[in-house]
Amino acid sequence: MVKTIFFLKTSLSKTFFTSEQPLSGYVKGLMLSGKEPKVLMKNIVKIYPDGTVALRGVNLELMPGEVHALLGENGAGKTTLMRILYGEIKPTRGEIYVKGSKVSFRGPWDAIRQGIAMVYQHFTLVPTFTVLENLVLALHTVKGIRRSDVEAKVKELMRDIGLEVPLDAYVEDLPVGLQQRVEILKALLRECEVLILDEPTSVLTPIEVKELFRTIKRLKERGITVVFITHKLREVMAVADRVTVLRKGKVVATVNANEITERDLARMMVGREVFLVLNKVKRERGRPVLRLKDVWVRGERREWALQGINLVVHEGEILGVAGVAGNGQKELAEAIVGLRPVVKGKIEFMGKDVTNAPPTKIYSLGVAYIPDSRTVGLIHDFNVLENVVLDLVSIGKFLKNNLVIKWGEVKEHTLKAIKEFEMVVDSVKSPARYLSGGNQQKLILAREFMKSPKLIIAAEPTHGLDVAATEYVRKLLLKLRDEGKAVLLISTDLDEILQLSDRIAVIYEGKIVGELSPEEATEEKLGLLMGGVSVR
Amino acid sequence: MAELSTIADLIFIAFGAMVPITLAALGEIITERAGVVNIGLEGIMLISSLTAAIATYYTDNPYLGLLAGIATGLLIGFVHALISVKLKGNQIVSGIGINIFAYGIVVVALVYIWGNYGQSAPLSSIPRVGVGTYAVSPIFILTILLGIGLYFFLFRTTAGLKLRACGEDPRSAEAMGVKVELVRIIATTVGAAFSGLAGAYMSVDYIGQFTKEITSGRGFIALANVVFSNWNPLFALVGGFIFGFSDAVARYLEIILMMPGLSYLFKTIPYLTTLVIVGIFFKRARMPRALGKPYIKE
Amino acid sequence: MFAKSIRYEYLATAIEIIASASIGFLLASIVLIVLGYDPIEAYAVLFRSALEDSHYVMARASFILLTGLAFSIPALAGLFNIGAEGQMYVGGLFALLATLYVPNPLVGILAGILGGVAYSAIAGLLRSYRNVNEVISTIMLNWISYYVVMYLILTRFANPMIPHMSRPVPELARLGDVGGVPVIFIISVAVAIIMYVVIYYTKIGYTIRACGLNVKAAQYAGIDPKKPTVLSVLIGGGMAGLAGALNVIGFTYAIDVLLSSMHGMGFDGIGVALLGRNHPIGIIFSAIFFSALIVGSHGLQMEMGIIRELADATIGIIIVALAIPYAYRMLVSYFRIRRMRVE
Repeated sequence: MVKTIFFLKTSLSKTFFTSEQPLSGYVKGLMLSGKEPKVLMKNIVKIYPDGTVALRGVNLELMPGEVHALLGENGAGKTTLMRILYGEIKPTRGEIYVKGSKVSFRGPWDAIRQGIAMVYQHFTLVPTFTVLENLVLALHTVKGIRRSDVEAKVKELMRDIGLEVPLDAYVEDLPVGLQQRVEILKALLRECEVLILDEPTSVLTPIEVKELFRTIKRLKERGITVVFITHKLREVMAVADRVTVLRKGKVVATVNANEITERDLARMMVGREVFLVLNKVKRERGRPVLRLKDVWVRGERREWALQGINLVVHEGEILGVAGVAGNGQKELAEAIVGLRPVVKGKIEFMGKDVTNAPPTKIYSLGVAYIPDSRTVGLIHDFNVLENVVLDLVSIGKFLKNNLVIKWGEVKEHTLKAIKEFEMVVDSVKSPARYLSGGNQQKLILAREFMKSPKLIIAAEPTHGLDVAATEYVRKLLLKLRDEGKAVLLISTDLDEILQLSDRIAVIYEGKIVGELSPEEATEEKLGLLMGGVSVR
Repeated sequence: MAELSTIADLIFIAFGAMVPITLAALGEIITERAGVVNIGLEGIMLISSLTAAIATYYTDNPYLGLLAGIATGLLIGFVHALISVKLKGNQIVSGIGINIFAYGIVVVALVYIWGNYGQSAPLSSIPRVGVGTYAVSPIFILTILLGIGLYFFLFRTTAGLKLRACGEDPRSAEAMGVKVELVRIIATTVGAAFSGLAGAYMSVDYIGQFTKEITSGRGFIALANVVFSNWNPLFALVGGFIFGFSDAVARYLEIILMMPGLSYLFKTIPYLTTLVIVGIFFKRARMPRALGKPYIKE
Repeated sequence: MFAKSIRYEYLATAIEIIASASIGFLLASIVLIVLGYDPIEAYAVLFRSALEDSHYVMARASFILLTGLAFSIPALAGLFNIGAEGQMYVGGLFALLATLYVPNPLVGILAGILGGVAYSAIAGLLRSYRNVNEVISTIMLNWISYYVVMYLILTRFANPMIPHMSRPVPELARLGDVGGVPVIFIISVAVAIIMYVVIYYTKIGYTIRACGLNVKAAQYAGIDPKKPTVLSVLIGGGMAGLAGALNVIGFTYAIDVLLSSMHGMGFDGIGVALLGRNHPIGIIFSAIFFSALIVGSHGLQMEMGIIRELADATIGIIIVALAIPYAYRMLVSYFRIRRMRVE
């Protein structure tokens, strides 16, 4: 018997848009000393055309020569806020002041002219050009500038800052840390005064991270304001002067880094006031269904995406893998299913070694995979019937003599699925792209769950779904668990993890940094683990 | 020695034969370096050849004919650019359509203007430049100059850098302020003009009249040349010469050996050469990363 | 009867087809006016001639139907097979040679298919092993087969009495008519229907379509894209080879030195495929349409003196016009997906 689980929020004010925040002591101090904020963002609101509210009235001030960290989970709004500052997105409401005067950016070019530069997680460098060529390209709008001028300027800059990059190397041959340096040089060449770094350490090795921090300190000495978007607590403490913590589009607080601890930050970042876990039926978990032993997997850029993962999922259990996106979750799912080679270690399913087995084998053994994106989970130009059998056909179901597709049976199966999963479908012959997001997800779930799998890997199963669909999916996962299935839930949505999991494992930079039960999982502990700090 | 002079003869024939393939390839290098693929070169060459012939026929001025050819190239290139860049259409299908259209329309024009299914009347052609029998067309010299010039443009100027960025990583190019769509449209239009000149050269200069089979696949050999050259204009000159030389050898064998029917086999030499070369070089070729993919702004 | 989304799909497809054809006819009308003819009169004569010579229409349709399939099936897998022309020549040659030794139409057909498959395999291998773009390789192969077949006909298989024709196909190997309908037409339509079944009702057809639409999703579903793509090219080659075989043993009963009876039909097939939206049943109708257009233009030439190549030019324009709807669809689905996916 499954009781629904829901949250009780005891938030104080229900106001949607916050009013002015009290200025922190640090800023007051600066202002008393006569320093004006370099950038002031007042009451920024951003609502997307489809109704999503990304920012609910955010205030931010950036002082000259400070390192300011923007901390928050996925979806908190940090990147959105900075993209507004960089002129990529226009705010729905709110004002921006740069050096005292109000500005309105039509595009990044206006922002650059005002001295604001941004380095994205996905670099905007042409990989097949050399470093110098990229820098020349970046400055191409400067009238009359020649390649030799750029070269001279760059060399001078590199000497001043103490940042070296080989000018004649092709960008794609450079290690990621050096590529990032090129991006920083690019920003400096454009004489930026505010440099925004979006999750800069997510692609760096620990040594490169140290180099980056050294660089940031040097930039600070030159009076440049550095905004550092991150979810990693350790880094905030290591390099920031001040921290602004965002949560669900609102500012929780802006504090001095030296007046706060990691624990405080963790609590502010994750901040669940009170939540109730109603009786989930206590189940005896069964035998292990999936076992990962010291699994090492490489990611897209040949870095180690998974570093010695050990995991076990049992029958009748939901193991929730929590963590901020980009810490190896995708690679974990792909490795288990056979889409990504396992370089070291073993994966066992029901006791059988399935390391590096092809996906068809894994699916036919009884594994269901719900990928984190519907563009790879479905073929949008295929109709509903064709999507229902997407991986079944490859493993030979619904086939006569392994040749002809028995559409009649498929249709029966589909109609059953539509009824059972309460899908709203125009017609079974209509292309999948006509279905709403929720119904598309239900289609994928129906396809996977009607296979009667023994293990379900669900990645971001409620991403982009409305409340009703979300509730439906979560109830469904619990039902499967009660039926004795094993569920590996990979999600960046902490609510979801906490609601559903019997056990929680936190993944950070390709390692499992902690395993806890939902009762032990306080906001603080989770925040710390997700931010990379191990918990005693 | 007879052999030496034969080889010299062959080389000079090759010079003449390589012009259309090289010109078209140079133009397509511009287009593809910006990220657009235009397989309608054959059709553009054919129609330009026709319009050049028409212009020369009626004005007795071969230079006007060349201009007409260039203008035709610009026009058709612009249409292809609109379809490929603005309307995000399927570039290959558009190119195929241009070719098929060309095959049909030129016959209509041939019959209508000259009353002849196969060829036009002879046209006044451009005087040669050079010494005695070793004379070349001024267009050949122009081709070489264009090849060298294009190399400098692409690899030594900032404008060339911008163009290449559009073909390698349009997203980053746009982020750095390059107007990718505009650059692509210009590149496609100008690139097609090169094929227009190539076509005009064929009817006004090389052959001296227009026939409906004047191009015989040269537009496609030019495409192969683009790949062979690794999108580098200097190598396109070399490749053009190789293909032109195989063309010359084929014709030489035809004349020398004079066996009927065998001439058909010799005619396959340029295409076989292309296929073999492409087979060897394609794997090592590095094409512009974003080639053929319509750029959709986020 | 049909659900709203399906009606929308059909409507969109119909608009694409009608719009493209209309643009083609519109521009052709402009040319006609420039040349001094009355377009309405011309179209009337065109359709009348086609109707009068329905036998020829069906015959011609047979070939371009098959070359249309030769383009479509690899296209469904995401590849551009422009080599139907060359594969057709090889198929025709193989059919001729086979029947010269074994005068049986079935032998001719099988030989033709074999020839087409083998020739398309060359382009397929070049693509798999040397990563050669199939557009370039198939076009080169087209020209090579054109000249090689010509050479062979002229030198080895010439008809001693009619020097510009090959030796004729033996009587026993010939295909004629059944009830006024050319057998080759019946065969072609049957093949199209078989292809329809294969594409939409078999596992291989399903995997071909999946790989062509969304390779990544197909891989996630466990499909290995290599097999379907190679197979699609071979099937395409077989279709083109069959077209050549049927042309030789069922229509001209010989190959002429200039390959004039087969010339151009590979390219017409591309137009047929595109207008038929790469759907085998659609291709049947599209082939008949284009065939009527071409045959009608012959009649037009005889009656009004309008050059029949204008029909080819019109087909070219229709193809260019068809390049755009792909984009429209692509954009529409792109934005639909973006709107549905909450950022």
